[in-house]
Amino acid sequence: MTHATLALLTLAACAPAERGRTLVIAAYTTPREVLSEQLLPAFREDWRRRHGEEVRFETSYQGSGSQSRAVAAGLEADVVWLSLEPDVERLVGAGLVTGDWRGTPTGGLASSSVAVIGVREGNPLQLHSWADLEREGVEVLTPNVRTSGGAMWGVMAIAGAADRRGADPLRALGATLARVRVMDKGARESMLSFEKGVGDAIITYENEVVVARRAGVPLDYAVPAQTIRIENPAAVVDAYADRHGTRDLAEALVAFLGEAPQQEVMGRYGLRPVREGVDCPDLPALSEVFTVRDLGGWEAVQGRIFADGALYDQALSLSRGQR
Amino acid sequence: MSVRWGLAGWAITAGVALWVGALVALPLAAVGAEALHRGPGPALAAVLHPDALRALALSASLATWVAAVNTVGGLAVAWALVRWDFPGRRLLAAAVDLPFAVPTLVVGVLFVALLGPNTTLGRALEAAGLRVVYAWPGMAVALCFVTLPFVVRAVEPVLAELDPAEQEAARTLGATRWQVWSRVVIPPLIPPLVAGGGQSLARALGEFGAMAVVSGNVPRETLVASVYVLGEVEAGQVGDAAAVSLVLLALAAAAQLAGRRAGRWLGAA
Repeated sequence: MTHATLALLTLAACAPAERGRTLVIAAYTTPREVLSEQLLPAFREDWRRRHGEEVRFETSYQGSGSQSRAVAAGLEADVVWLSLEPDVERLVGAGLVTGDWRGTPTGGLASSSVAVIGVREGNPLQLHSWADLEREGVEVLTPNVRTSGGAMWGVMAIAGAADRRGADPLRALGATLARVRVMDKGARESMLSFEKGVGDAIITYENEVVVARRAGVPLDYAVPAQTIRIENPAAVVDAYADRHGTRDLAEALVAFLGEAPQQEVMGRYGLRPVREGVDCPDLPALSEVFTVRDLGGWEAVQGRIFADGALYDQALSLSRGQR
Repeated sequence: MSVRWGLAGWAITAGVALWVGALVALPLAAVGAEALHRGPGPALAAVLHPDALRALALSASLATWVAAVNTVGGLAVAWALVRWDFPGRRLLAAAVDLPFAVPTLVVGVLFVALLGPNTTLGRALEAAGLRVVYAWPGMAVALCFVTLPFVVRAVEPVLAELDPAEQEAARTLGATRWQVWSRVVIPPLIPPLVAGGGQSLARALGEFGAMAVVSGNVPRETLVASVYVLGEVEAGQVGDAAAVSLVLLALAAAAQLAGRRAGRWLGAA
């Protein structure tokens, strides 16, 4: 019995391997549609044409922070596509990403986006700026910064925008957090709650709203006059790719994501290009966009905003008094 | 012969001890070790973090309310099942056990599907200014559902043993209705009521699936301890998660133990 089961398992494991290798991809939640509907089928086709090998994919999607920790803890992904650089840097620290992952033509990035305010169709409450979310009676959704990269981008957008218009970031963030009704684990879960009808506004990635609209969900979004440019890195996880013998595939996929045709496809799914000379005609023009570097870089942001007892924790305390 | 039986008895006892030890004691010890391996300082700091403390307080207060409601409601349900015969009694008896059969995550999904903002009922409640799902009331109702069987199933057999003739006898001997209740009916029911209530309390303290869905999970507002623990695990703070788990465990164990002890003591008095 045991032998029979073992033999079956071995067969199951071997049969597809004869046709081609499997590439494991671990991503944050929001590129799910563009990857599964467009990019991975296109890459499989491209690889088959050039090498005659039928590649298979295993994909995992969860909040960027959770995903990064899962890979660090042994989820053996060959390629990661995460929401923010520190989540790749965690894998560098764990000795899993050993190569120069920033050394690609796009500086290690696969895509970019902006933090926006998703609203009900027609924007009935006329929510346009981050400060509008502080209004009494407005119900806001955002994921939890402990697990979600998208949540961190939203917090950075609100704090940075407050800085820029001369407001107090702590007060602004506290007043916004006081309006938060549901805090899900990742950007996708948060959007699903919003689709269920909870809340008036959702702080999220522009591409997350675009994907929902493509699926026929009746909602709109406002790009606040001042918001943050979100930059999402992709990298080969060297240690796992070498162990699986998939380095060539993994490197090819990361390079493929950065090429112009794929960047254009991403644009249709709301992801803004990171490659020079690629346009995204379907997405609205931006006015004032700042980056992590404008906020002092990741290290400064981690220390000032997200460290224990820093701005975010203080704002959470402040928000309790305002509900 | 008796020696051999003694040996067999020992062997069985040892086997049971090993089995329970491996299933219960080992994981519990692992949680304790994980929580305390950095020393008591960091563990205490983890539990005293405002997010953690608020989550524990919320879990404890929800569980207390739910246990109280279940004790009263469970007695009523058990009474109906044992003492009254009505059409659909068997159906009700089966329905009482359903909460144990349904995965609690599904319970959460059911409540959101029933009372969520996109439903008629949910919209009516919101219009009346009552937030149910993603807020305290929805969480309490879901917990009541999940823990309903404990009191009912604890009280039922004791109630079935009570002879209605005793009540009639008390009445014919001149006792008032109230005296029959307080002297004849209630005393034997106290131990199962308290024990069942303690079990409800312990279960509600640790409930995860339903809470993850029905609660808004906003830290210091609607985030309960069990969901907070998962958040900490996913945030890579396994030691902090273990420390908070340890407190939850201790509270749950205390609730159950106290329930049994108090039940026995009250029953004996």
